[in-house]
Amino acid sequence: MKPNHRPPPRLATYLLHLFCAPHRVDEMEGDLDELFQQRVRLLGERKARLRYMQDVLSLLRPSLLRRQHTTEYPQPTNTTMIRNYVKIAWRNITRSKGFSGINIAGLALGMACSLLILLWVQDERSVDGFHANGKNLYQVYERKYYDGKVEAAYETQGLLADELKRVIPEVQYASGLDWTRPVTFQVGSTVNKVEGNYAGADFFRMFSYPLLAGNPNTALDSPNGIAISRKMADQFFGSPEKAIGKAIRYENKEDLTITAVFENIPANSSQQFDFLRTWTAFVKENDWVHNWGNYNPSAFIQLRPEADPVKVEAKIKDFIHRYLPKNKSFRVELALQAYPEKYLHSTFKNGQIEGGRIEYVRLFSFVAMFILLIACINFMNLATARSAKRAKEVGVRKAIGAARTALMGQFVGEAMLITCLAMLVAISLVVLILPAFNNLTGKQLALPITQPIFWSTLLGLLLVTGFVSGSYPALFLSALNPVRVLKGSLRFSPGATNFRKALVVFQFGLSVLLVVGMIVMYRQMNYIQTKNLGYNRENLIYIPLEGEIGKKYDLFKEEAGKMPGVLTVSRMRGTPTIISHHTGDFSWPGKDPNQATSFADETVGYDFVKAAGLTLKEGRDFSKAFGIDSVGFLVNEAALAKMGYKTGVDQPLSWGDRKGKIIGVLKDFHFSSMHETIEPLIIRLDEKRSWGTILVRTEPGKTKEALAGLEKVSKELNPSFPFTYQFSDLEFTKLYQSEQMVSQLANYFAILAIFISCLGLFGLATFAAEQRTKEIGVRKVLGASAGSVVALLSKDFLKPVLIAIIITTPIAWYAMNRWLQDFAYKIDIEWWIFALAGGLAIGIALLTISFQSIKAALMNPVKSLRSE
Amino acid sequence: MKGTYLGEFEEVVLLAVAIRSGDAYGATVVTEIEQQMNRSVNLGAVHSALNRLGEKGLVTSELGGMTAERGGRSKRLYSVTAAGRRALQEIRQVRNQMWESIPTTVWT
Repeated sequence: MKPNHRPPPRLATYLLHLFCAPHRVDEMEGDLDELFQQRVRLLGERKARLRYMQDVLSLLRPSLLRRQHTTEYPQPTNTTMIRNYVKIAWRNITRSKGFSGINIAGLALGMACSLLILLWVQDERSVDGFHANGKNLYQVYERKYYDGKVEAAYETQGLLADELKRVIPEVQYASGLDWTRPVTFQVGSTVNKVEGNYAGADFFRMFSYPLLAGNPNTALDSPNGIAISRKMADQFFGSPEKAIGKAIRYENKEDLTITAVFENIPANSSQQFDFLRTWTAFVKENDWVHNWGNYNPSAFIQLRPEADPVKVEAKIKDFIHRYLPKNKSFRVELALQAYPEKYLHSTFKNGQIEGGRIEYVRLFSFVAMFILLIACINFMNLATARSAKRAKEVGVRKAIGAARTALMGQFVGEAMLITCLAMLVAISLVVLILPAFNNLTGKQLALPITQPIFWSTLLGLLLVTGFVSGSYPALFLSALNPVRVLKGSLRFSPGATNFRKALVVFQFGLSVLLVVGMIVMYRQMNYIQTKNLGYNRENLIYIPLEGEIGKKYDLFKEEAGKMPGVLTVSRMRGTPTIISHHTGDFSWPGKDPNQATSFADETVGYDFVKAAGLTLKEGRDFSKAFGIDSVGFLVNEAALAKMGYKTGVDQPLSWGDRKGKIIGVLKDFHFSSMHETIEPLIIRLDEKRSWGTILVRTEPGKTKEALAGLEKVSKELNPSFPFTYQFSDLEFTKLYQSEQMVSQLANYFAILAIFISCLGLFGLATFAAEQRTKEIGVRKVLGASAGSVVALLSKDFLKPVLIAIIITTPIAWYAMNRWLQDFAYKIDIEWWIFALAGGLAIGIALLTISFQSIKAALMNPVKSLRSE
Repeated sequence: MKGTYLGEFEEVVLLAVAIRSGDAYGATVVTEIEQQMNRSVNLGAVHSALNRLGEKGLVTSELGGMTAERGGRSKRLYSVTAAGRRALQEIRQVRNQMWESIPTTVWT
């Protein structure tokens, strides 16, 4: 270009390019430019520019704008190539239906599995997230320092919530909430048991449970008012509107007025109840709340929006000691937990919140990722293994001039296409499995097809899966050297083969991990289910003690005892499955007066030990034969050790100002979940209490007769209450629901992981056998036996599986050890678990390969060799 | 004769192509006409005329070499065909014939 070259007007040039026929634009611009430069010299730049623009305008005439019909500039190349890619991809899928089937099935299973888990995780995370005041809602928990240790729990003093609101200005609202329990209601002739609770007057102001009728500000004000759910209103009155202001009979004791009807509590709320009574009623019925050494209900507060929760927490730290004398050995601290976090983070360790369901959420998120990864690896493995078949295509494409990026695009796109097919299968699988999955997890999950977030998740899953599974084949195939490929000598570099083996190692490593998890969880669950609890939970029936039976318990016991199949009848406040009530009111000579101690305490009736099937270490059961039992106590070994007594019987022990002595020592038994060690327990006699549980020990195999008899007696003595009962063993199982669920899910996922891994292995084995057909033929001709050929083929695949087992074992051991830490009573992880998991992996792998290797080994060498 | 009728401008362009033969393309034709006739011409008009001449078979064109002054762009080189030459000659002959027919007395 000449140094004095002037740029022509840009706008005009742009116009020219926009309108002029593409095949002539170059020539025109050349002419324009040449004339322009000339005119700049002759006429000056300004005039030249003007002429330039005139010329451009003059060029915009139909004869010059007309496009040429040629093949010189065909349609945009992209569409043609993309059509070709799709066509080739489709041909490849249909040509080898087996491989495609394996690929799609593996991916679909993986994706269905992760979709289900995603749904579950999303649901878990949404629990308690719907409260409008959520970010100001806090649950109060207590950290207790005693005996040199610290323990935290949600149980609080009955008056705590109200006192917090009264004393601490930052607390806007506060409410207690007791534990949800079944209660009998009656309206006219309708009698039903409904589960419900007690809550403070602020409750509906704090939590977003919409009221269908009634005023949220006054719903829980009057002592004999009650708020009920829509379901309960429908059940008793037909509709929420008809229910409001009506009377309802409570436990056949008192008539309550319905002050409000609330919408049914959604499934994603951690608080579940169908009615709420007022806190005033709770305080009236529970005298013990006035003693701040007793605790049982939960307490919730709502802070003012401007309040700083950290400051408030510091402020209320010693709150309890305004009401309870401080002493060196027993200290209680209050702490706050953001309410929406409570559901997932509700396990305490050393007084701090540590984990809870969030661990399962995390665990399953990982499992979902792993399974998807295993499926992706399958795809990568099969695609690279089969690259020999695509190598020629790649060679030709490259020779014609395909850029590497274009080839990568092609293969990633192909992976996307297959992923897309797999996604369709996965979605239909999810739709099919969802009911069973809901059943297992106790949720009501549905595909949220109306939510854009769901579709974007699907799209994300599609892109990630397609990209991950397509990336390696794309890199690998696009790197092939066209000259060598077209010459016909495709040799996999050791790097590529090793990479494939590493992938198999990874896959089987994950599978073994899941299998070990499955075995350990199963064994731990089994251990819990079959562990000797110290009481006999077989043939033990719980009947709620309520209504008339409260007054006629003696009669009931006598009548019921005569029924066929009934061995012993007794009573207690709670159930042997869970004793949660604690008190610090016990004292004994030699007790350090400064040392406050907390005991689990329980009240029972005569013959309790016999009915519950407990073992006495020394002493005796409560019995009518002795007059002094009202001041006698039964203690467990842990309590005896805590009090420092060597032997228990006749040792003095006082409850409040009631002096008494120990009449019997029970062997330790599990009265709470296996996550906790057995606590010291003191049991006293109380046959006057109007509520509780009746324990009925039945004869083995005669449960039916016993139940029929009990129902008859119950109907006679307590006509206004429906007869209900629970089996002790089933109640016990319920304690471990979430562990059961996890264990079961782990089973399914482990099986799935192994299955998907095997699909991949199967594909690889098929391919290897195919590749080595000739080699096997030659070997056979030279005299190799079928057995040696099978061994040859299997060896290659067993090595990575073995390596996987070796690598995974310590990781699995560590992971499972951590899981078991949460149980106070647990199994040992024994070596054979790993051996079993490993053996299982090897066995299944062998089985998978053997199908192909035996087929290859039995093939007639004539057939495999004749084609060349 | 309809197909080969030449307009005045077309004739001028055809003549310019003949003058510049060997190096006749859009820009040179424009400069040639401007220099010879001392009037400004639009490039569009020239190209359009060249198009028409090509359709009538009076000129042929081929893509020619690129030059640095055109920024490396190609140019379409035109040359007059035999038919084109004949057409020019015919016009000239007709003109001459008409000149001859003017009575000499008129001018004196």
